Amino acid sequence: MRRFRIGLTARIIAVLVVLGVAVFPLYWMLVTALSSNADLFADRPRLVPDIGHFGVFVDALAEGKAAGWLLNSLVIAVGTMVLSVGLGIPLGYALSRFSFRGKAVLTLVLLFTQMLPEALMVVPLFALFRRFDLLDSLTGLVLVNSAFVLPIVALILKGAIDGIPRELEEAARADGGRPFTVLTRINMPLIAPSIAATAVIAFFHAWNEYVFAVTFIFTPELQPASVGIANFIGELGTPIQTVMAVAFLFTLPAVAFYLLAQKYVVSGMTAGAVKG
Amino acid sequence: MSRNRTRLGIAGATALGLVAALLTGCGSDGDAGGGVTKLTFAASTFGDPGRGPKLTAWLDEFNKSQDKVQVSAAAVPYPTFGQTVLTQMGSGQGPDLVRFDMPEFEAAADAGLIAPLDKLVDVSKYDLIKQPDQFMVHDGVRHGIIFEASNYAMFYNADLIPTPPTTYDQFFSTAKSLTKGDVYGLAFRQTEAEEAGVWQDIFNYVYGFGGAWSDGKNLTINSPENLKGLQAYKDLYDANVIPRGADAATFRRMFAEGKVGMELNNGGYVTATRGQNPNLKFSVAPIPFPVRKQGAILAPIVINEASEAKEEAATFIRWALEPQNQIKLQEILGASSVATTTQRSAEALEETPFLTVFDELTESSLPQIVLGFEAKTPDIRKVVVQNVIAALQGKVDLKSALDRAQQQATELVS
Repeated sequence: MRRFRIGLTARIIAVLVVLGVAVFPLYWMLVTALSSNADLFADRPRLVPDIGHFGVFVDALAEGKAAGWLLNSLVIAVGTMVLSVGLGIPLGYALSRFSFRGKAVLTLVLLFTQMLPEALMVVPLFALFRRFDLLDSLTGLVLVNSAFVLPIVALILKGAIDGIPRELEEAARADGGRPFTVLTRINMPLIAPSIAATAVIAFFHAWNEYVFAVTFIFTPELQPASVGIANFIGELGTPIQTVMAVAFLFTLPAVAFYLLAQKYVVSGMTAGAVKG
Repeated sequence: MSRNRTRLGIAGATALGLVAALLTGCGSDGDAGGGVTKLTFAASTFGDPGRGPKLTAWLDEFNKSQDKVQVSAAAVPYPTFGQTVLTQMGSGQGPDLVRFDMPEFEAAADAGLIAPLDKLVDVSKYDLIKQPDQFMVHDGVRHGIIFEASNYAMFYNADLIPTPPTTYDQFFSTAKSLTKGDVYGLAFRQTEAEEAGVWQDIFNYVYGFGGAWSDGKNLTINSPENLKGLQAYKDLYDANVIPRGADAATFRRMFAEGKVGMELNNGGYVTATRGQNPNLKFSVAPIPFPVRKQGAILAPIVINEASEAKEEAATFIRWALEPQNQIKLQEILGASSVATTTQRSAEALEETPFLTVFDELTESSLPQIVLGFEAKTPDIRKVVVQNVIAALQGKVDLKSALDRAQQQATELVS
């Protein structure tokens, strides 16, 4: 009994330490945002937020810019998530279930795209998007983010579908189910955790993306928060508290989204790791 | 099962609707209506606390002065300003008007991305300051007009340093004696993430010790004078008198809070510092290095070659060059100069007596470009900064780093 208690206490402490490490950056952003100028570089840094400086959040939101940036980020992130998962499911299914010439090469190519840094693609994609009139629009950012995240989404979902016994599909087909029906009615419910996991990956990729957003968007009202925050960094000065306040607000929707989806994510990440 | 199907259906329909909305409705043509031409003006200074809001108000004055052209500030973040705007301009897009720093200005002019101004702005009507203006013309073609010219000087915290140093040895010993606890004697940029900033900082050490990046025909990156100047920079780094790892945003804030004693910076910093802490007692003196030569931020305003409204953009430049608007611009920019000769007001001199220090440095200030290799400056800058930082971090000795930079940069330009 005593050993059990010691083990439990150790585990609780370990969890608290990990939790502290994970939450500390968020907490520190809040403390910095709510610090006075003198506190920022004081001998002993302030460890608790000074609520008296809460006005920095009000000021950051007052102009309406920050709210607009966050909304743009949300549109881009949700759009990317929907598009990449929507396309990734049939792609993953095809890679898992169909035999066709060049399948192995296609899978390798999908992996290869993950090795290309975004910065390498900015100029050619800029020229391409200009031709298709996709610059300076959220649509363009949704498409480019989807293009970058789709391969990993498809590969994760392929792994998950690999784990579903083919006999289930064959039984459904024997009952008259068409391939699309089998995919949506049989496979998708079974790989729901993996879909949730890929949705989280796609959402975060688009939420944090900066390089394409800063280059492809010219209109200030269309900028996402990742670019908007960088606008505060001036050549000769940076309002640190304001940056931290907006950065803190920037993290909240992403954290909320993750908390909603997290119960599916862990099982989704491991689904397909071992073939069933 | 049926409820699940309904949910799935609703989710699917919502998703498709969202995608459809995205693909059809969120684009922006950014175009004008009602006979008004809308222009965008990209300048990293719009993001500066203190100067940014005043510059935006200055633009509003232009917009109110007539009803044909509206100029708005394009928000491009400073850290990636050059790269972003050059990418946009290189693909035939981007802002109509741009305030460039010199390295990017030279690269853009060389690549044909900037509209020639000779037929758009008759400069003979204005009393342009010759020293900085000479760098606006390439092979007889004018590509820019000075928006801001800002000489480098030594800023010092008057509460910490009653008498400013006048020699490098004094500079070093002052920095060392001030460094205690959370106060540092000096601050400068020293990370690769701030490549352009490091280049600006080391420029003062190189030229202040009699060196130069080139003789106009050949690169002289590893000359003995350059080595001496950069050794002085490295000695300060090694002496731990700077907040190592702190970026410019952080150490400038520290200066404003009295936590940094000295900084080499340009005239624009006066307004920015006051914007951060109006109560700070600081002053300015010439950089105390052996040779009176220092960098200057020359920031031209240019018209994007891809702009469909060049004449309207020139209308704005002509308005900006009018004497009363130049005076207003200079007051916004603080200790910087503008394109034309303007008199500082008695009030400005009373408020900031050291303004004359900056003005007296104009003749000995140089733009931070590699003379003779202007268009290649961004590439040479990258090579030099990478090697100097490798030496700072102790990966290689400074002489070898400069030899390597010389070799790499020579390969780039040959």
